Amino acid sequence: MPAMQPYTLEHVRSAPLLTAQNVTKRFGSTRALTDTSLEMRSGEVLGLLGANGAGKSTLSRIVSGHIRPTSGILTFDGDPLELGSTRDALRVGIALVAQETSLAPDMSVLENIFLPGLATPGRLSYRDMRRNATEILAALGHDHVLPLDAEVRTLSAAQRQLVEIAKALALDARLVIFDEPTASLSAAEVDRLFDIIARLRDDDRALGFVSHRLEEIFAITDRVTILREGRVVLEDAETGSLSQNDIIRHMVGRDIGTIYSKRKMKSEGTGETVFEVRGLRSMPWVRDIGFSVRRGEILGLGGLVGAGRSEAVEAVWGLRPRQAGEILVNGKPIKIKKPVDAVRAGLGFVAEDRRAQNIVPDFNVRENLMIAQMGKNRGFGRGYGQKEARVRELLMELELPLDRMDQSLLNFSGGMQQKVIIARWLLIEPDILILDEPTKGVDIGTRSSVYRLLQAAAEDGLGVIVISSDFEELLGLAERIVVVSDGLSIADLPADGLSEDKLALIAAPRTSTARNQALLSSLVNAYGGEAFWCLLDEEQTICLARAGAELTGMRPGQALKTEETSIPRAIRCCGDDFIGEGSLQTLLTQMTDTRGHDLGWIGLTLPEGGDPPGTALIRSQIMDLNRGNEEERS
Amino acid sequence: MTDRTGTDNSKVKLGIWNGQAIVQSLEIRMLGLVLLLAVILSFSSEHFLTERNIFNILDQSVVIGIVAVGMTFVILTGGIDLSVGAVFGLTGIFLALFLQNMPIPVAIGLAVLAGAGIGLFSGVLVAVFGLAPFVVTLGVMAIGRSLSFIFSGQRSISGLPPNLDSIVYSTFLGIPANVLFLIGVYLIAWGYLTYTKGGRTIYAIGSNFEAARAAGLPTLFYSILPYMVSGALAAVAVTFSLAQVMSADPLAGNGLELDAIAAVVIGGASLYGGRGSIIGTLLGVLIMVMIRNGLNLMGVSPFWQGTAIGSIIIVALLAERVINWRSRQN
Repeated sequence: MPAMQPYTLEHVRSAPLLTAQNVTKRFGSTRALTDTSLEMRSGEVLGLLGANGAGKSTLSRIVSGHIRPTSGILTFDGDPLELGSTRDALRVGIALVAQETSLAPDMSVLENIFLPGLATPGRLSYRDMRRNATEILAALGHDHVLPLDAEVRTLSAAQRQLVEIAKALALDARLVIFDEPTASLSAAEVDRLFDIIARLRDDDRALGFVSHRLEEIFAITDRVTILREGRVVLEDAETGSLSQNDIIRHMVGRDIGTIYSKRKMKSEGTGETVFEVRGLRSMPWVRDIGFSVRRGEILGLGGLVGAGRSEAVEAVWGLRPRQAGEILVNGKPIKIKKPVDAVRAGLGFVAEDRRAQNIVPDFNVRENLMIAQMGKNRGFGRGYGQKEARVRELLMELELPLDRMDQSLLNFSGGMQQKVIIARWLLIEPDILILDEPTKGVDIGTRSSVYRLLQAAAEDGLGVIVISSDFEELLGLAERIVVVSDGLSIADLPADGLSEDKLALIAAPRTSTARNQALLSSLVNAYGGEAFWCLLDEEQTICLARAGAELTGMRPGQALKTEETSIPRAIRCCGDDFIGEGSLQTLLTQMTDTRGHDLGWIGLTLPEGGDPPGTALIRSQIMDLNRGNEEERS
Repeated sequence: MTDRTGTDNSKVKLGIWNGQAIVQSLEIRMLGLVLLLAVILSFSSEHFLTERNIFNILDQSVVIGIVAVGMTFVILTGGIDLSVGAVFGLTGIFLALFLQNMPIPVAIGLAVLAGAGIGLFSGVLVAVFGLAPFVVTLGVMAIGRSLSFIFSGQRSISGLPPNLDSIVYSTFLGIPANVLFLIGVYLIAWGYLTYTKGGRTIYAIGSNFEAARAAGLPTLFYSILPYMVSGALAAVAVTFSLAQVMSADPLAGNGLELDAIAAVVIGGASLYGGRGSIIGTLLGVLIMVMIRNGLNLMGVSPFWQGTAIGSIIIVALLAERVINWRSRQN
């Protein structure tokens, strides 16, 4: 008699909706997938993970009929599945929400949602379509944000994605795969997408989520399958049973330890300020941005996509017109009209888009490496010979093969290409190196060597400026972070003690900041004194905005050690009342959003003496104003 | 240092001074094609492989060869110069007029300056104002041809100084001066494009303008320069042509731009820019001239020659593409 097995969750899982067995895909002589298998079940979110080129996109494209496997068997709902085209996949109820969307930009939202149906014979009823679309969008909880008659070209990336999802639901897809859906979304939009995915799961659909962002995997998936070099290395494991390190180990095949090994800063303040930008303006993206970096320091420029960070450094580099702003190198103002002026002033710049802005495709590795040196060189010749020894040294450090110098740079992996581009600038021995998204499209294994490269550069006394949308990367790499939001640099903070949440909040678009500023102003109007908005935890108090008379000496973007303020005392002892501090008295009120996330504290400081107004009244006013903000935000 | 690449880096020759591999596989194939053509043509006509005919071919290569150098510069940046034929005609008229009352070197110098000036005009419109090279040079072509008729009074200008022909008919070591000049132009152009900052910048502009600009290369100047080189060389070419025919025709150089473009493209250059070589262009010129010469020797009607040359261009490019596919698959 067989032993009784303990009753586990395994037993109540439904049978798989879709299975793929022994799927192999060859492109020419390269194998993209080897003997991979996959199971997806209704009511579950399966994460499909892997480094770049691991085959996760190929597998999801096979399952959704975009490409045919070389060999292997698919089943759907227990029956064998033969997919000749995406149309076949859609017919059985499999949809892929791809990274680059498959929408018709000149057609309306409504037409796009029902695009697959438009090709079938018969009369179209726009009235039925409109009713159905409204129902679908209501089910997604977003009926008010998508105008059905708008042309798709006018929508944001997040809205287009929503149209894609609605399109899948219009076909009543039972299985939806999201291929790197969060790549172009802001943090708030990612939250909303996760709400939708959760709703679809509760609606008993099977969902796939392709990504390499670990936090998102933990936030949304129930199970994960990990691919490496075209093979499944971890199949259908429960997400909760894995740690970040487990996942990284499976993805890269070795323990890479912490990718951000924080280097020891040389004693604080030894390096003088080597580079400074003041009051930079380059409309419409850059309104007023300033930052500075010292020798030996890595400065992070953080913020959401579209905040104006890339545009700011491109304006510094002479690639965009500037309307205002001062640029100082070693304390001396310099004029940069075109990139070569910046190169000669001692700057280096790795632009955001590797393929479009950095690589010269018809040049071999050597010439791609030498191009900045040639730009700096004033002579008639190429100036290649001057740096031979340094080239050899650099290539050794980068683990680049010298015997492949005559090959096209395009034959190398993204990580290698990025290393060559960074080396291009290290070669001219700049004082300042600016990197825009240096690990974009670089797989996690090569990433850590890019980090080491940047840290070594800072060790050598360079001022390094890194722009990144990946807050984890920014916090791990930079000593100080300047947050840019809506074309303004709004905070300059040490990275220690900052968290991703806090960064996300500081970086939140200016609209909410403007409303909070209005809240502060209305408080000051009503009660006088000074009002401020700050984030605080046990270590740090960060002032985000202030209004009214200057009583406390706080400035926006400034960080104070919490223990040095009277704030802890205020929270501890006098929870509900003003607390006196010298000749001042302050009332603190915490704000939270509807999900209970900390949005920071609103403080009101008044000169002592006189009757402090009723605290309950002030509190309720702050809450009301805040709630108004919330509603407008969502 | 750990060595993950499996090569011993310390022993590999870095070869910064090796420069570009001088002979690329494409050019070897082109050279093979030239030799193959020579063999076929020498079997087809006993007059082909004679010393006289070889010099004939080189002589016929001078005008198109010089113009094709300028065209290579322009095409490498991703542009095109449709105006070379018209500039050739117009500067020829200028030169003939100048020669009426100026010493020969001054007249030639002024004509070449005029050609460069026309190129500057096109180049600025393209590089500064961002107009499409095709459209700009099409406009300049129409203007140039029209002005040649105006300045010439709709007739050929003859009565040029008789010692002008010395630039063609004097020889050095038995080689005619114009052929020597052609070789000199190709050597200089090859050295310039391969070993100087300006030459590499021209390649980089055509390959990826944004990257070239961000790396601090002087992209504006080197986007204009190729058009000036093209205009100036058109004037140089017409000087040799005038010295041979001893008269300037307002219609001279009609269709020359197409021959030059064909030679550059047969030579392996990409019309998108960034790829191509001066050696390839020289071989392309030789192929064009040899075919025309061979057809003449065989007595093929001039009306059929266009069909023959056009077909050979297409077949050559098709073969190149097929070979490329094959090699990529292996």
